[in-house]
Amino acid sequence: MSDTNVVLKKRGLSDLAIKRLFILPTLVLLISIFVVFPLFWSLGMSFMDYSAVRPQVKGVNPKWIGNQNYKDVLLDPHIWKYFSLTLRFVIMAVAGEFLIGFGVALLLNRDFKAKGLITTLILLPMMMSMAVVGFFWKLLYNPGWGIINYILGLGEFVWLANPKMTLISITITDIWMWSPFTMLLALAGLSAIPKHLYEAAEIDRASWWFKFRRITLPLVSPLLLIALIFRTMEAFKMFDIAYVMTGGGPGTTTELIAINLYRLAFAQWNTGKASAFGYIVLIMIIAISNIYIKYLNKVKEM
Amino acid sequence: MKKARKILIFVVLPAILLVASMMLFIAGDGEEEAEMAKGPITIFWAEWDPANYLQELCNIFTDETGIVANVETTPWSDFQVKAFNEFAAHSDAYDIVVGDSQWLGRGATQGHYIELTDWIKERGVDKSMAPATIVAYAEYPKGSGRYWAVPVEGDACGWSYRKDKFEDPKEKAAFKKKYGYELDIPDTWYQLRDIAEFFYRPEENFYGVAIYTQKDYDAITMGIENVLWAWGADLGDYDTYKVKGILNSRAGIESLEFYKELYKFCPPDWVNAFFPENNMAMTEGIASMSMNYYAFFPALANPEMSKYADVTGYFAMPEGPAARVAALGGQGASIITYSKKQGAAFEWLEWFVKPENQSKWGDLGGYTCDLKTLKSEKFLNMTPYNRSFMETMQMVKDFWAVPEYAELLESCQRYWSGYVVADQFTAKEAMDGIAEEWEVIFEKYGYYD
Amino acid sequence: MPTVSQTSRRGRVAHWIIIIIVLVIMLIYLIPIYWVVTTSFKPFKAVTAIPPKVLFRPEITSYVKLFTKRSIVRSEEELVEKRASAKWYERRVLQQGQTITGMSPFPNRLFNSFISAIVSTIAAVALGTFTAYGFSRFKVKGEGDLLFLILSTRMLPPVVVTIPLFLMYRFLGLTDTRFGLILLYTLMNVSFVTWVMKGFIDEIPKEYEEAAMVDGYTRFEAFRKIVLPQAVTGIAATSVFCFIFAWNEYAFALIMTTRRAQTAPPFIPSQFGVGVVDWGMIAAGASIFLIPVAVFTFLLRKHLLRGVTFGAIRK
Repeated sequence: MSDTNVVLKKRGLSDLAIKRLFILPTLVLLISIFVVFPLFWSLGMSFMDYSAVRPQVKGVNPKWIGNQNYKDVLLDPHIWKYFSLTLRFVIMAVAGEFLIGFGVALLLNRDFKAKGLITTLILLPMMMSMAVVGFFWKLLYNPGWGIINYILGLGEFVWLANPKMTLISITITDIWMWSPFTMLLALAGLSAIPKHLYEAAEIDRASWWFKFRRITLPLVSPLLLIALIFRTMEAFKMFDIAYVMTGGGPGTTTELIAINLYRLAFAQWNTGKASAFGYIVLIMIIAISNIYIKYLNKVKEM
Repeated sequence: MKKARKILIFVVLPAILLVASMMLFIAGDGEEEAEMAKGPITIFWAEWDPANYLQELCNIFTDETGIVANVETTPWSDFQVKAFNEFAAHSDAYDIVVGDSQWLGRGATQGHYIELTDWIKERGVDKSMAPATIVAYAEYPKGSGRYWAVPVEGDACGWSYRKDKFEDPKEKAAFKKKYGYELDIPDTWYQLRDIAEFFYRPEENFYGVAIYTQKDYDAITMGIENVLWAWGADLGDYDTYKVKGILNSRAGIESLEFYKELYKFCPPDWVNAFFPENNMAMTEGIASMSMNYYAFFPALANPEMSKYADVTGYFAMPEGPAARVAALGGQGASIITYSKKQGAAFEWLEWFVKPENQSKWGDLGGYTCDLKTLKSEKFLNMTPYNRSFMETMQMVKDFWAVPEYAELLESCQRYWSGYVVADQFTAKEAMDGIAEEWEVIFEKYGYYD
Repeated sequence: MPTVSQTSRRGRVAHWIIIIIVLVIMLIYLIPIYWVVTTSFKPFKAVTAIPPKVLFRPEITSYVKLFTKRSIVRSEEELVEKRASAKWYERRVLQQGQTITGMSPFPNRLFNSFISAIVSTIAAVALGTFTAYGFSRFKVKGEGDLLFLILSTRMLPPVVVTIPLFLMYRFLGLTDTRFGLILLYTLMNVSFVTWVMKGFIDEIPKEYEEAAMVDGYTRFEAFRKIVLPQAVTGIAATSVFCFIFAWNEYAFALIMTTRRAQTAPPFIPSQFGVGVVDWGMIAAGASIFLIPVAVFTFLLRKHLLRGVTFGAIRK
């Protein structure tokens, strides 16, 4: 027996083996099931005229049509309208979740009795099923028997039927559901800031604003960014709440891209075009989150 | 060696346990499957009352034949997606599907449904069921004499109204003074409009009318069809697939403008309304009239569900300037090509079309299409709305049943909802837009070749 | 000039004002949930009363309906006959002219939800932690790309993967099996776990393990005895998120399962009553469904707060 063998035996599995044992299962599973097959299948189909419900006939269904699907999607003026709608939603929702979540976290960042309980209670909205949340907010928004108008004394104010208010109504629901998530992350970041930094600033008689800008903000920003990444990604894909509450209506005032994509893929069964559309969305999400991640790495290095 | 054992304990064993337990779940599922040599068959339908009635009928079937038949349901909003997803995968999860009439084209041409032409003719089902329902729920292409389904639930749009308000002498006098004729069940769409306007009283939280406005699936289209046909326009030429000049004709545009006028008299928030909302308008007593499918009327007549059950009346579609038509709903039962229990499925169908069982179906609350049952006094008097249902079924018309119907729907739902509730287009723009897009769709799928 | 006691008093007043603001905010967050829970106890007709009813006599009819299959009583005689022998829960639905014919699929769906959420959470957290450790401690070729690939599985619009996945599952015989659903949820979550746990493990100094290995620990022992205990907080927080995701997942459950393995989320909003939406039943389902996940989160709340830093904060 050679020396190296003894060492290896003594140390159990080699690092290489551990590395493989640890990483490969995930990669193999992910790559084989989630990436290779569906992604490549969709990629292939995005260049075909194909409908998954029609019988497969070679050369007819699917039929190679080159980049026609991509052209169709990118040249469709409706779809650009849906994109700008979605962008509006993402900006409003993520900004709202950011401001409210961070604000509440700042308030909660102190010691008091039952803090854990109160924090958990505020987290309740994000633990609910999105479909159920959408469904129930319909009840809350109802001009007649809805509790919102009742509490706010708005009388018969119309939320969901009002083309100008629908997107905002959905945004409010989304903020209600997901600002606790930003709150949680911000709170975690805030409570991790070493107390002595504040004490030092206190001695210098630094203003509240100075402390916030120079100590609080830089130290929580990595976590806030992570919250933003996740929320932006999810808001971009927003489906359940909007679909349940308005079905994309009235007219096209809430036709978010995920809803339109769903219609294309399932109501119309235009699998090829839906795949192409899906890829365009994917590329956009990747681009956006890449920007975030680059920025995050910069912030972390600071 | 000790280390190796530890690794064994901490990595390999849990992994094996995990996999084994998962295998157990699969095995458990498999055993269930092995037991069902003949049946149980699974019938797929949407989640609503008639599906519960059908389950009760199936229980009788099980008692008589020993074959278990389960009715499986999913919410309306997912019904189409779920069904066609299973078809796309050639799945044997369902043996029979009670599918929408628009699905016939897809089911027939894409090979999901088994052809029933000979089966239906041998048993004379095409004679025993109401002719309009055979065409609507079973035949594809229309006029070809080829059948793909057995009508199960006949259905169409009708109206419910508040009898107490309509019969109130004070209201009657005020109405006569304002409009110059008696307040009664409207004979024409224009009268219906007047009544809606008359009862539109936001300050009393009472509104004129409840109509379909939802953008999802086919909701607003089902509502607009009623006026479109009544005004003499059409969705297009069902033989040549020509749309321009027919849909966006003067009559078509006028009928659409009329629908939007009705929308003004709806309760607030009436933007996402389909059958549950329109029923709620009556059960909560916030509208004087409400459009809905007959299949949803039982709730309105049920005092446990509706505060106004005793004072709710029903009437069939009013007359338009050109015709009197009602938009068709309803479903037929088709046997799925991929079913592994087709024998049992056919047995169920055989049993279902027998006159005595059709009569039981009617008793349970199903809208049978069987002529004898439909015309029986017992059926007509069973509910306050069955008589107007019978009347309605003589004047029904349906949407396109071509395999591409969903693309057609996407286009018209977008434009109509955009015009009626969101003011995104004018009536002419909406109609022109639909005609244009529909012809492109027909062109693309070779209907003009 | 303010004395020390004055500032501290002022501080205390400010503290209490903030606490009160916090309580008000909490109430605002809770009103919709309160409304869901109370709706589940409302009599059918009270749900849509105008103006909204805040006070009412609670009843549990909605819960009875949620757990049972019912049919309509069609004649007076039948009603009288049924009423004579009715048990307490049967009497509840008899009031609405219905009789109980059996159990609803809800308990079964709930059980499926438990199994899928628990098993997939354990599997995803275990796999993801291993992978994260691997990425954190060893040089892996193309690490950045692989990590991004892992994360990108979560960026995909679900619609894009649903059709091919469904076809593949059908081919493998995995549709409508709990195993299939568990596998799916595990995969959806493992990317999240890997990404988050890598941040945590990066923060745990390598030197600890190296010292332990010099003392004769194997790499695996070092991982188990040194790294894992320090990562417990992160693991707990990550588990909460995985559990919430798997517990509430809707689209895949709807498409990939039909009856044997279907979880509760597609079931709850489908509870239509007789031609109108039965809000009470949906509310009952939603309330029951919220309890386990709320309890789970409450138990792990301490870890959640500390563990949710995702390793992004240097200690």
